[in-house]
Amino acid sequence: MATQTTGAAGPLEGLLVIEVGDEAELAGKLLADAGADVIRVEPRAGARSRHAGPYVGDRPDTNQSLRFAAVNTSKRSVTLDLGSAEGAALWAELVARSEVVLDGTGPGALDEAGLGPARFRAERPSLIWCAVTPFGLTGPWRDWASSDLVQLALGGPMMSTGYDDHDLPPIRSDGEHSIAMSNEYAVTAVLAALWLRDEAAGATPDSSGPGQLIDVSMHEAVSATTEGAFPNWEFLGQQVIRQTGRHAAAQRNAPWQYKCTDGDYILLMGGGVPRDGKIFVGLLEWMDEHDAAGDLHDPKYVQVLYTDPTINVEVRNHVAVTIGKFVQGLTAEEAYRRGQSLHLPWGLVRRPEQNLDDPHWEAREFWWTGEVPGHPDPVRYPGAPYKFAASPVRMRRRPPLLGEHNTEVYVGELGRTTDELQHLAAAGAI
Amino acid sequence: MGVLEAMDRSGDARPLPLAGVRVCDFTWIVAGPQATRILADLGADVVKVENESYIDSMRWGMQQDPAHPSFNGSGFHGNFNRNKRGITANLHHPAGREAAERLIAKSDIVIENFSAGAFERMGFGWDRIQELNPNAIYVSLSGFGQTGPDRTYITWGPTAAAVSGATQMSGLPGEDPAGWGYSYLDHTAGYYGAIAALMALHHRRRTGEVQHVDMAQIETGMVLTGVPVLDYQVNGREYRRIGNRSERPAIAPHNTYRCAADEVEDDRWIAIVAETHEQWAALCSVLGVPELVSDERFASNEDRKRHEDELDAAITERTRPRDARELMYALQARGVAAGMCQRADDKMERDEQHAARGFYPSAPHGHLGEHRYEGYPAQFSDARWRMTRGSPMLGEDTMEVLTELLGYSAEEVGQMMAELAV
Repeated sequence: MATQTTGAAGPLEGLLVIEVGDEAELAGKLLADAGADVIRVEPRAGARSRHAGPYVGDRPDTNQSLRFAAVNTSKRSVTLDLGSAEGAALWAELVARSEVVLDGTGPGALDEAGLGPARFRAERPSLIWCAVTPFGLTGPWRDWASSDLVQLALGGPMMSTGYDDHDLPPIRSDGEHSIAMSNEYAVTAVLAALWLRDEAAGATPDSSGPGQLIDVSMHEAVSATTEGAFPNWEFLGQQVIRQTGRHAAAQRNAPWQYKCTDGDYILLMGGGVPRDGKIFVGLLEWMDEHDAAGDLHDPKYVQVLYTDPTINVEVRNHVAVTIGKFVQGLTAEEAYRRGQSLHLPWGLVRRPEQNLDDPHWEAREFWWTGEVPGHPDPVRYPGAPYKFAASPVRMRRRPPLLGEHNTEVYVGELGRTTDELQHLAAAGAI
Repeated sequence: MGVLEAMDRSGDARPLPLAGVRVCDFTWIVAGPQATRILADLGADVVKVENESYIDSMRWGMQQDPAHPSFNGSGFHGNFNRNKRGITANLHHPAGREAAERLIAKSDIVIENFSAGAFERMGFGWDRIQELNPNAIYVSLSGFGQTGPDRTYITWGPTAAAVSGATQMSGLPGEDPAGWGYSYLDHTAGYYGAIAALMALHHRRRTGEVQHVDMAQIETGMVLTGVPVLDYQVNGREYRRIGNRSERPAIAPHNTYRCAADEVEDDRWIAIVAETHEQWAALCSVLGVPELVSDERFASNEDRKRHEDELDAAITERTRPRDARELMYALQARGVAAGMCQRADDKMERDEQHAARGFYPSAPHGHLGEHRYEGYPAQFSDARWRMTRGSPMLGEDTMEVLTELLGYSAEEVGQMMAELAV
């Protein structure tokens, strides 16, 4: 099955980007899926995520990592040894053809080699250079060792996430979210810098407006993504307590998540207590069908829940626990569908792959069908987080093989001859 | 000069990158306000519109003075709505509706995060926005999107996390899903909402074309599940929780380890990851158990992975009496990736990196007073972001926006206020 490569232009069509290093690969994907021409510059051994599983068939292969595939759609790949003179020359030419450099190589790494923003921004002030690093380009922790686990610990998400039982540790949610948070912010910063550049220069793609060095700190991005813990401390001087499957809070509250008869879980937002009295009546009718309403028909509950401006935690918790007992007698799917039909914001706790079977996403054409190198059949990739009516964001091409576009870029675009390319390869420069 | 420019005390002459971009902001709760918070931090003129039926309910959340609750008393709301201007417009009153329409006519972006279809029922669908302003971009952010069989379903952050797979992907094997301890997908959806608005602006500059961007909060979470979704299709593997360990790639040690109690609680932990032999040896040395380096159970990463329960128990035995922060510094000095699980007070009072980079700048607010806020997590060489003012008090900027931007006289605004139109 062919990769989708035709169709209308994306919102960033024509934007020229190069990406280097390992900390900016989601940012590169977001720009590439939106139509930017993103060339990923990889060391000859390949990017870090190519060396991390899972792999197709669990066979380690730099071209068959699913971890790489998930965050490298729509990009081209060239290889380059930045330590060689020829490689450094090619790098300078790649920077020269780009409006944006996404630099995930680590703080100061490229500047130390004379191949970083200090040199290229001096040569061309309109260049936008975005460095995504664990702790930022300045500060006492700048050169600290890092990992996703360490970032989610230091930034605060873990102390809010885990279990009622605090003999169990704070939990790092799986999915490299420190990369996600920092890269999403990096894209906002790059797009804002592009806006400023074009605004100053008068709106042409090869604009000569002011560029930027953008210094994105993963530690700050994660720290800015913790919600309630911050205002509780700053405005109320209190700590939050992590709890199983629900928000960390200053005081413990009733569970929000229950295991149902089919073994799946249902999430009852806020413990399941409806936000208005009309919905509460509908819920009681449903509970009555199962003889599960307990004492909730007592008018005092409606009164306390919907007319008393001070939140009575004890009453709320009693109502929540009664609703919780009720849903444990249903299948999770039934609780989800019927609950939502009553305007209850309840969610089925799905494994991610279970969304592949949900006709709603099919109807929205959420999935992108394409190839995974090394796998015979087309697969569905998660699509875009936004649907642009006029300029679709979509998978431009499948994730690249390592150095797949060396000839296309070095010969076709930078003007090297095929002979020169062979020489560069033989010399280990690409 | 508007109130935010007048209040700017940064003394920083560098430009705000989005100065001159105007956002008509009908968002509420968290996801939408998070999107417009980013735009406002970067200098866009974000005008938040509220009215009697749609006061942002987060104004009641986490009151600074619970004994005297106020529309203006929530620091939680304050953090997500700082640097915005706020007006009221009663959409049930013709003059209030007219004010909102004039604002749309003056805006580059119209954004809302009501349930699907609600904004249209309020009289402001894409067609109406185009009538009012052919240059406006429209971003709608609902739970399930504006199309599809389940579009009327409603989500809060935790609902979206549950359905997307994010909740299942968090927690220990053999335990319930831990989920996220806050509405992570409100933030993710907000980040992508800001990206969508900026991409649409970029497209408009190049082509002159405007458009509606339809966002579904759950889809913003599903975007982050690529690895397990591909693994299932290619390898037939159902997702299984891994706690704080790392299975693919297989790395050990890779976990959280309990440390000594501090003055607040006996609940202090440190995350440690040692991938190379040098890091493993340094870890053993700092923990005072150099003999573990030559223990054959732990000789290679593969060996450590195979004996991971014993490994983690051996490490915990040595971390338990240690102070988490001191141990973190000792390990980092030897090149080992280590970070304590920080609480908000750790980040705000004892985190040297945040202090050095000024990550929690303070700003005034008419009711809450002077407070610190979370910063924007990037620095620009030739531009800046701002932290000028906390959230607008309810209707705080109505007079300014209506007279200076929307063409009303002060007398007219006074009349509209008397009629509760604004």
